[in-house]
Amino acid sequence: MIKRTLHFSNPAYLSLSQGQLMIDLPHLKVLGEKESKKSVPIEDVGIVVLEHQQITITHGCIAALLNNNSAIITCDHTHHPTGMMLPIDGHHTQSERFRYQVDASLPLKKQLWQQTTQAKILNQAAILAGRGIDHDNMLHWAKSVRSGDPDNYEGRAAAYYWKNVFPKKVEFFRGREGDPPNNLLNYGYAILRAIVARGLVCSGLIPTLGIHHRNKYNAYCLADDIMEPYRPYVDLIVLRIIDNGENFLELGNSIKSQLLAIATVDVQFEKSRSPLMVGVQNTTTSLARCYEGKLRKITYPMMKDFAPRRGVLYKDLEEDFISLAAEEEGKYYKAGDDDDEEELPF
Amino acid sequence: MRLNEYRILWVLVFFDLPTETKKDRQIYSKFRKDIMKDGFGMFQFSIYLRHCSSRENADVHIKRVKKILPPKGHVGIMTITDKQFGMMELFYGKEEKELPDTPQQLELF
Repeated sequence: MIKRTLHFSNPAYLSLSQGQLMIDLPHLKVLGEKESKKSVPIEDVGIVVLEHQQITITHGCIAALLNNNSAIITCDHTHHPTGMMLPIDGHHTQSERFRYQVDASLPLKKQLWQQTTQAKILNQAAILAGRGIDHDNMLHWAKSVRSGDPDNYEGRAAAYYWKNVFPKKVEFFRGREGDPPNNLLNYGYAILRAIVARGLVCSGLIPTLGIHHRNKYNAYCLADDIMEPYRPYVDLIVLRIIDNGENFLELGNSIKSQLLAIATVDVQFEKSRSPLMVGVQNTTTSLARCYEGKLRKITYPMMKDFAPRRGVLYKDLEEDFISLAAEEEGKYYKAGDDDDEEELPF
Repeated sequence: MRLNEYRILWVLVFFDLPTETKKDRQIYSKFRKDIMKDGFGMFQFSIYLRHCSSRENADVHIKRVKKILPPKGHVGIMTITDKQFGMMELFYGKEEKELPDTPQQLELF
């Protein structure tokens, strides 16, 4: 089910009463009680963004939100998200799933990373295609990604993508501390990351243990891995904001609400279509099943179906599934195949 | 869009419960509190309503109300679409009033 996103950028008192989140907005007091006091059922809340320095939240409220698997995001005085609070116990077979995740073999993780990278490059290519930019090389790279992406096609694709995706007049260099519209991207990614981290916790996974990201300072490595194919959906919103000629030097309310709408964007899977927030849950559930060994493929959304090339792509994937099975069995292990994987910087 | 005025549902609960004895009143206020805990808000005295983003979600809440039905008294449960809800006309005295807003998936406070 799609959950609600609440975003507080004004002073507010948040408390709990009768299982409801009571919202008291002092700046609207002049308009009367109906305007200044609102209530939202806790169980409908998915994400709470706290983005003002004068927000008071009771402990009962925090506990109830976490009990309900909601993510709480806090921001600093520059309005950038600084922290996220997630429940410890998001799934009923928690420790079993944790164990599967911790015990996941290196080959499995590499396979998963290969699928992730492929999905990401394809989605980036879809955006380039939508803007009429040459993207054949992206499709080629997506096809060539090997297990664990030892040739770093992800990086190559990203370099090409960021160089070309924005209109020429916006001199763009992607970087976390970079000039606008980097701020929009950062904001959108932070929200996306919260959605993904929430999905992971709901599926009983530890968002800290990544499949590729392994920075020791990063607490959300797995969220960063799994959100990769979803990033282009944020890019799409940012591109639309730029194309509409809005002033993106500052994060205004209109821009923020467009970026926060990321949760309701429709994403297309092979067979079904659903809002992004629900789609992320599909993805995280499939990931948990991959760790369990019940599934070989993570369900990622596809922005565009590059139909003629699809046969080639899926054939490649299938071959890898076979090799994965073989590696698990340990019998048909081909030494030759593994040579290039030994020298990985993992 | 997934969230449109034909898919969003409003569940209304109407009830008349006996209040003769102290026990009756206890049951009455417990029922009222329980549906409020489930996210229903007062629309008029003994008419409570809840916004549900989908049919499945509405079914969940209808089931929950059915589970806590009091032993005596009349209770009605009705589901209408957001479209139908939006066509309601509302008056305080002769003065026309606005309908309660449909909660959006994203709300900025």
